[in-house]
Amino acid sequence: MLSRIFSIARNTFREAVRDRVLYNLVLFVLLLVACAIVLGDLTDGHEARTIVNIGLNAMLFFGVFIAIFVGVGLVSKEIEKRTVFAIFAKPVGRGEFIIGKYLGLCLTLAVNVAVMAAGVSLALLYVGGSSFAGTIWGTVILIFLELTIITAVALFFSSFSSPALSALLTFCIFVIGHFSSSLRELAANIESTFAKLIFDAMYFVFPNLSHFTFVTNAAYGDVPPAAMIGGSLAYALIFNTILVLGAVLIFSRRNFK
Amino acid sequence: MIAAAIALLFTASIPLTEWLVASKPPEPRGYADEDLSLKGADMRGWVFGAEGLIADWYWMNSLQYIGGKIASVGLDKINIDDLSALNPRLLNQYLNNTVDLDPRFVAAYSYGATVLPAIDVDQAIALTEKGIANNPSNWRLYQYLGYIHWRRKDYDKASEVYTAGSKIADAPSFLREMAAAMKTRGGSRETARQLYLQMYNEADDQQSKNNAELRLLEIDTLDELEALNDLLASAKAASGLCPERLSELFPKLASIKLPRDRSFSIDRQKQLVDPTGFPYRFDRDKCRADLSFESKIPRTLE
Repeated sequence: MLSRIFSIARNTFREAVRDRVLYNLVLFVLLLVACAIVLGDLTDGHEARTIVNIGLNAMLFFGVFIAIFVGVGLVSKEIEKRTVFAIFAKPVGRGEFIIGKYLGLCLTLAVNVAVMAAGVSLALLYVGGSSFAGTIWGTVILIFLELTIITAVALFFSSFSSPALSALLTFCIFVIGHFSSSLRELAANIESTFAKLIFDAMYFVFPNLSHFTFVTNAAYGDVPPAAMIGGSLAYALIFNTILVLGAVLIFSRRNFK
Repeated sequence: MIAAAIALLFTASIPLTEWLVASKPPEPRGYADEDLSLKGADMRGWVFGAEGLIADWYWMNSLQYIGGKIASVGLDKINIDDLSALNPRLLNQYLNNTVDLDPRFVAAYSYGATVLPAIDVDQAIALTEKGIANNPSNWRLYQYLGYIHWRRKDYDKASEVYTAGSKIADAPSFLREMAAAMKTRGGSRETARQLYLQMYNEADDQQSKNNAELRLLEIDTLDELEALNDLLASAKAASGLCPERLSELFPKLASIKLPRDRSFSIDRQKQLVDPTGFPYRFDRDKCRADLSFESKIPRTLE
C-alpha cells in the first residue's frame, strides 16, 4: 500500500514540476535580489529584518497560492482528463490515490519552501544579516506546516466541489484560520451569546493558523521554541489527518459516471 | 510583424505615461498630510501574521516622509531643533503604527526620540514611554527618554529616567553617571558631549547617528570658538590691537589642546576652518570669530 501511495506522490511531484509550478521560485529570487539592492537606503540600515519579513511572508503567500490552485486541481484534473479511470483500473484504492496526491503536493511545497528559505538565507548573508540566516529555519518549518493544512483543505473541498468553488472556499478557510483568534477576542466584547457561540465554534472547528505565525519574531532572530514547533506539528498532523480522511471518505463514495 | 507592433506600442506608451503624469491635476492641498486611515493597533491580528512586514512599510514611510519634507525645502534651510515649519504632522502616526504593529522595533522609538522633539516634544515622550512599556529591559530607550527631558532642560526628570535605566541588568555605567551629571551639571557642554557620544555609538538607525554626529560637531565648534576668541581677547589685551587676520594666531593655536584630542583645522588656502570645512568668519571690529553663514554646523547649544 505504501509503495502505491509513494508512486502517486512521486508522480504528483513530477507533474507539478512539468506544469512549471516551481517557476514561482524565479519570481521569488528576483524579489529578494531587488530587496537586497534597494532596501539599504529605504530602511536606514535595517534591511536584514525587512528581508526576513518580506522573504518569509512571500514564502507563505506564494505557498498558499500554490497549495490552493494546484491543490484544487489535483483530483478534478484527473477526473476531467478521464485518467482517473486508468489509475483505478490498476490495483490502486481511492484512499491511496487521495493520500498520494496530498503527499505529492506537500513534497512540491517542501522543495519550494526549502529553496526559498535558502534564497532568503543567501540574501541575508549578502546584506550582512548572517545571524538571521540560520535562525529563520524554525519559522520556515512553521510556514511549511501551515501550507500542509491549506493543501489538505484544498484537497478536501476539491473532493466534492468544482475547482473554482474549492479555491474560493480554501481561501476563505485561510482567512478565517488567521482571523479566528482576533474574531474570538472581538466576540468577548459582544453581548450576544449567539455571536459568542458562533465565534467560539469558528475558533475550534476551523484550523487556527495563527499557531504557525512567527515571522514578526523571526525578524529579531528569535527561534520558535521546541514546544511551539512540536505543538504545531501535532496540531497540523491532527487537522491534516481529519481533512485527508474526510476527503478520502467523500471521494470513495463519489460516482464518476 | 506582430513583435514589431508590440515593440512599437510599448515604445509609444512611454511618452504617453510621461504625458499623463505631467498633465495629471495636482492632489488636493494638504492631501499628503491627511491622517492615516488605518491604525496599527487595529491591524494587529488581521494581517495574516505579516505585522512585521507592515511595520517595516510604515517605518520606510516615516523615513521617506521626513526625507521628502526636508528635501522640499533643502537641508541647509532647516532648523533641526524646530521642524514644525515643515508641518510633518504624520510622522507621529507613522511611527506609532510601526511600533503598534511591532512593539519591539527599537529603531522606530529611537528615531522618534531624536526627531519628534523638533516637532512635538510631548509626542516624543509618549512614543518613548510606550517603547519602555513594551520593552522594559531595553536600557537604550531610557537613554533616549532621558535625552528628551535633558533637551527640554528638565534635568530632575532626566536624572530620574537615567536612574531608572541604570537599574536594568545589562545597563552601562554611563546611565548612572548621567543620572548624577544631570543633578549637578545638567546644562554643561561636557554632559552634552557625553550624551551625544553615547547616542552616536549606540544609535540603531542612521538618522539618529547623523543627528548625534552633527550635535558633536556643534560642541566641537563651540570648543574651538571659545579657545579662538580667548586667544583674540588676550592678543588684543597684550598689544591693544586686534590681530588683522586669524592666521596670525596659527602658531599659538597649535599648542591648544581641544577636548576629544582634537586640534584646529587649516585648509589648503591657509584658512582656519570649522569641523565641516567652512572658514571661520572674523569680525575685526568686535575682535571675535564666529561660524560662517554657510556653515552646516547647527547653532542650538549656544
